[in-house]
Amino acid sequence: MEAELQALVSQAEAGQDTVSTWPALAEFKATFVGPNGSLTAASKEIGKLPNEQKPVFGKKVNETKQRLEVVFDSIRERIENAELAAKLGPQVDPSLSVSENQQGTEHPLTQVREKIIGIFRKIGFTLVEGPELETEFFCFDALNTPASHPARDMQDTYFLPADFVLKGGGKRGSENFIMRPHTSAVQIRTMTKRKPPVRILSPGRCFRRDTVDATHSANFHQVEGLYVDENVTIRDLKALLDHFVKELFGSDAKTRFRPSFFPFTEPSFEMDVQTSNLRKLSGKWIEIMGCGMVDPNVFSHVGYDADQVSGYAFGMGVERIAMILHGIDDIRHFYQNDLRFLKQFQFA
Amino acid sequence: MKFSLSWLKRYIEIDKTPDEIEEALNLSGLEVEGVETLGVPTLEKVVVGEVVTREQHPNADRLSICEVKTGETELHHIVCGAQNFKTGDRVPVALPGAILPGNFKIKKSKLRGVKSEGMMCSARELNLGDDHSGLLILEKNLDLGTPINEVFPEGEIVFDLAVTPNRPDALSVIGIARELAALFDLKITKPELKEVTAKSAEQSPFLDSVEVNDHGFCPFYTAYSIKGVKIGPSPDWLRKDLEDIGLRPINNVVDITNWVLMETGQPLHAFDAAKLNGKCLKVRMANENEKITTLDEKERVLSCDMGVIADAERPLVIAGVMGSIDAEVNDGTRDIVLESAWFKPESVRLTSRRLGLSSDSSYRFERHVDPEGVAYAARRAIDLILEIAGGTLLGEPKICGIPPSGPAPISVTPSYFIEKLGFNVEPAAIKQVLESLGLCVEEEEANWSINIPPFRPDLERPIDLVEEFLRIHGTHNIPASPVRVTGLHAQDDPLAVFGKKATTHFAANGFNECNVYSTRANEEIESFFGVEYAEKLKLANPLASDQTHLRASLLPGLLEVMRLNQARGNDVRRLFEKGQVFHVLDHEVVEMVSIGFIMLQEPLQRHWKDPVVHDFFTAKQFVMEILHLAGISEGKIDFQPMDAPIWQTGHCSKAGSIDDGLLLECGVLDHQRMAGLDLKGTILAGTCCFTAQALRKTIAKKEFRPVSDFPPANRDLALVMDAEIPAGQVLNEIRTVCDEACTEEFDAEDISIFDVYEGEHLPTGRKSIAFAISFRSMNRTLKEKEVNHAFETITKAMTDNTPYELRS
Repeated sequence: MEAELQALVSQAEAGQDTVSTWPALAEFKATFVGPNGSLTAASKEIGKLPNEQKPVFGKKVNETKQRLEVVFDSIRERIENAELAAKLGPQVDPSLSVSENQQGTEHPLTQVREKIIGIFRKIGFTLVEGPELETEFFCFDALNTPASHPARDMQDTYFLPADFVLKGGGKRGSENFIMRPHTSAVQIRTMTKRKPPVRILSPGRCFRRDTVDATHSANFHQVEGLYVDENVTIRDLKALLDHFVKELFGSDAKTRFRPSFFPFTEPSFEMDVQTSNLRKLSGKWIEIMGCGMVDPNVFSHVGYDADQVSGYAFGMGVERIAMILHGIDDIRHFYQNDLRFLKQFQFA
Repeated sequence: MKFSLSWLKRYIEIDKTPDEIEEALNLSGLEVEGVETLGVPTLEKVVVGEVVTREQHPNADRLSICEVKTGETELHHIVCGAQNFKTGDRVPVALPGAILPGNFKIKKSKLRGVKSEGMMCSARELNLGDDHSGLLILEKNLDLGTPINEVFPEGEIVFDLAVTPNRPDALSVIGIARELAALFDLKITKPELKEVTAKSAEQSPFLDSVEVNDHGFCPFYTAYSIKGVKIGPSPDWLRKDLEDIGLRPINNVVDITNWVLMETGQPLHAFDAAKLNGKCLKVRMANENEKITTLDEKERVLSCDMGVIADAERPLVIAGVMGSIDAEVNDGTRDIVLESAWFKPESVRLTSRRLGLSSDSSYRFERHVDPEGVAYAARRAIDLILEIAGGTLLGEPKICGIPPSGPAPISVTPSYFIEKLGFNVEPAAIKQVLESLGLCVEEEEANWSINIPPFRPDLERPIDLVEEFLRIHGTHNIPASPVRVTGLHAQDDPLAVFGKKATTHFAANGFNECNVYSTRANEEIESFFGVEYAEKLKLANPLASDQTHLRASLLPGLLEVMRLNQARGNDVRRLFEKGQVFHVLDHEVVEMVSIGFIMLQEPLQRHWKDPVVHDFFTAKQFVMEILHLAGISEGKIDFQPMDAPIWQTGHCSKAGSIDDGLLLECGVLDHQRMAGLDLKGTILAGTCCFTAQALRKTIAKKEFRPVSDFPPANRDLALVMDAEIPAGQVLNEIRTVCDEACTEEFDAEDISIFDVYEGEHLPTGRKSIAFAISFRSMNRTLKEKEVNHAFETITKAMTDNTPYELRS
C-alpha cells in the first residue's frame, strides 16, 4: 500500500514537466486528487482496513497529498512565471534610447518672465493681467499723454480701424482701439478698481509698429510694476530696483539711474546695470528698464489724491532681459521657435 | 539733435573730454545716442613718410615690400598691399604703437614671412572719407616725420542727442551749453546782439502789412525787412558747422536762418520780398483743399485747421513746418523778409502729423519754443545777414501780438523735496542746483517761490523741480537702502495663475512652448477662418504685409513653427502656445485667452521601438486637461462633431460657444490642407479659448466632499442601438436614470463605457455600448438585493420605449 502511494508521488514528479497551461494543470491534478483520481481511489481503501491500521494509513495518505501539492505548486509557479515573462517581453537593453515623450520646454521668454516675477513676488507684488486690445484712452490719455503731446510719437502704435467694434465696448468717446504698446494700461485699470495701497505686476505681450530686425520686434513682452502707498519715495524705488538687479544678475551687480522722460512718471529714469558675469557685456552699463515716480496727473485720472499718496512704476522688456541673461544675439530667435533654440533652455 | 564740439565751445569754455561730456549728458537726462569723429582724429605715431624703395613680395603677388623714410635717418620696412604709389611718393605712415580709428592697433608683424614695421594708410584709414582704393598720396612739400594732425585740420567731434519730448530747451546748441554749464559749474556766454547801426529810417517798400487772423494759433508774429542782400555761398565756418551736423548748405541767407535755428532753437523763415504778392503777409488758416508745393518739391493739400503764412494770393509757408518753393530765397533774391514767430505747439504738431511732414522747425514748434527767443533769434540772424550777405535793415519790424507768457512761478518748500526724494539734502544745495539751471528762487522763510525761465515750459509743478534737482545733483547720490515691504492683501489674477499652470502642464507633457506673432497675414486669416474674420480683424495701419491682422487662433502660427522645424530637419512632435486670440461674434470682436497645441499622431523620425499612435482621443484628453486646469467640470461640456475646413471630418469635435465665453476644438487636422502647407505627418490639434471674464469666474475654491469607507457594487449594462447615436447622449440618459433608480441610501457614483462594438453578431448599422455602473453607499455595504433592484429599474428604464435594446 505504501509503495503504491510512493508510486503516485513519483508519477506526479515525473509528469510535471509536461504541464504548462492552466487547463493542463487542472487535468493533471484531477488524475490524482479529482473524484476519479488515483489518490482519491487510494484513500477510499481506508474503510477496508482494520481499525488499528486506519490512522497510520490515513496519515500516509495525507502525507502523499501534501507531497502532491508541492508538485502542483511548483507547476503553478512555473506557469505564472512564464505568463509574466510573456507579458513583460524579453529582458531590456537599458542602454537603448527612449522614443516617445520627448522632454517639453517652457519658452525662454516664459522662464525669464517667471524669474523676474518671482523676485518681485517675494517682496509682495501680485499679478494682474489685462487685454491686448486697448483704447487710446487707457494707453495714452489716462497715462498723461494727450493726443497733442509729442510724447505720443515716442511709440509707433498699431491702430484698429475707426469702425472696429469690440464686444462689450470700452470706448469713452471717439478714441480708437489700439494694440497695447505697453502694459501700463493694466495699472490704470487696477487703480480705478482698487484703493491704495496697491502693489502689482502686469506682465504681458505688447506691440509696436516696428520693422523687425535683430534688436526690434513688433511683438514683445513686458513686465511692469506699480506700487502706490503713503510716503513712497525715490529712494524706495532705487532700493527696490537695486534689490531686483542683485537677485537677477548676482550680488555684485551695480545700477545707475539716468534721468529720462516718460509721460506717466515724474521724475523718470532709465536704469542701467553693470555686472562682471555677462560675457561680452561684462563691465558695461546696459540699459534694462524704465522707471519713475507716478506722475500726479495719472493719480488724478484714477481718482487718487496725489497729496495723500505717492508711488513708483517700472517696466522692462522680457526679451531684452532674456537676451542679456543668456547672451542671445538676435531677438527673432524668440519668435522663430526653432527646437534647437528652445531646447537649449530646457530646465534652465 | 546734433551739435559739434567746436560749435558748443562758442558759448562755453569747457575743457572736458568728449567722453566726459557724453557721460555728464547721459547722466543728466540728455541721452547721447552717438558720438562721431569727423576728419582726422588726434593720432599718435602717424607721420608723413616717403617711399624710398618698392619691391615685389616674394610670396604674394599683391604685396610689395617698401622702405619708408620718416625722418633724416629713420627707415622702416613696410609690407604694403596698395598699388597706387611709386617711390618718392609721400604718404601717411602709421608706426608701431599707433592706434588708428576703429581701435586698429599697429604692431610690428610679419606678412607672408616678411617683417613689416608699420602701415602706410589710405584716406579711409585716417577717417578722411570713404576712399580705400589705395594710399593717400600727400603733397611733396611736407616735411618727413610731420605728425599727420599737422597736415590735416583738426577733426571734429559731433554728438547726437536723443532729446526727450519734455526738453525743448535742449534743442539748441545754446541750450546744451546751458545744461553743461549747470553740470560742470561753468559760465555760458550768449552771443551779444549788435546795435543795428545800419538800420535805416526808410519804411519797407515791399512789406506794407502783416495780419494775424487767429491769435490762438499765432500769438506772436514778427517780420523784418532787409534790403539789398547779396546772395552767395556761405563762409567756410558756416558751411562747416552745418555740414558737421548733417545739414546741406544752400546759400548764405538760408544757411544763416538754419544756423540760428540750431544755435537758439528758434525757427526762422526768410522770404524773397520780390515774390510777395500784395506786399503783405497773412497768418491764417488754410482754405480747405488749398494746395502748396513745399521746398521738398511735393504738392501738399491743406485743410482748414492748418496754419499758413500767405501773401495776398497764395500760401507761402505751412506755418511752422515748411516753406513753399514760391517764395524761396535764391540767387536772384535782392530783398528779404525775415519771419520769427511763435505758433501754438498742438496745431503745428497736428499739421505735421497729418501731412506726414516733419522738419527741424516743426519739431521745435510742436515742443514749445522759448517765447523770449523769438526776438533774440531774429536779431541774431539779422546781425549775421548784415555781416555776411550785406544789406540794410529797414525801419521797424512788423509785429503782431505779444510773446506768450512764460511758465508760472512754482511754490514749494524744501521739505517737499526731501519728502519725495526720501533722503536728506540741505536747502542751500537745492537752491544752488535750481539757480544753476536759470531758475530764480525767492525765499520767504520756509516757502519758496520759484520763477521759471521761459525756455522751460516743462516745469509746472513742484514734482518737476524735484526731478530737476535730482538730475543735476546726481542720481548716484540716492543712498542705497533695503527694501521696505508692508504686507498687502491681494491675490494673483486667476488668469495669470491659470496661464502658468497650463504652461507647466503642457511642458511636462512633452510639448515645446512657442511664441508666435499675434499679427498675421490676411491670406492666412481668410483661408483658415473665412472672409468675415479677415474683414473684422484687420489693422488700420499695418507695417509689414504679413502682419496685417489680429490672430483668430493659435493653430496657424503653431503649424508655421512645425513647418519651419520640419524643414530644418528637427524632430518636432508637440508644440503649444498660450496667448490672446480674437474671434468674431455678431460682427463684433471678442478677445479671448487661448491655449493651443499641435502634435504629430506618430513621430516621423525612425526609432528602434514601435511608437504609440495617438488619435482624436489624445487631443480630446489634452483639451479636457486644460478645462480641469481652468476649473471647469467635464459634465458641463458637450462635445459635438464639427465640420470645419481645417479639420478632418469625422475626427474632430467642438464644444462651447464664444457667447458662453468658452470655445473648444480638437481632433485631427485636415490632411490635404496640411500637405498643402508642406507639413508632413498626421497632425492632431486642440484649442481652448476663454474670455477673461469667464475664466476669472470658473476658477473657484475647492470644497471637500467626504469619501465612503464601504465597497462598491458593480453591474454591467450592454445596450444595442443605432450606430449613429452618440455615446455621450446615452451616457447622459443613463446618468439621469441612475439618479432616479438609486435610493437615498446609495448612489451610482461612477458610470463608464468599457466597450463599443460594431460587427459580427450585430445587424448592419447597429452598435453595442457596454456601461460599467458602480453603486456605493456612504453608510454601509450594499445588499445584493437592493443593488439588483436598482439595476433592474435602470435596465428597464433604458430599454422600455427607447431606441435601445438590451444586448443578449
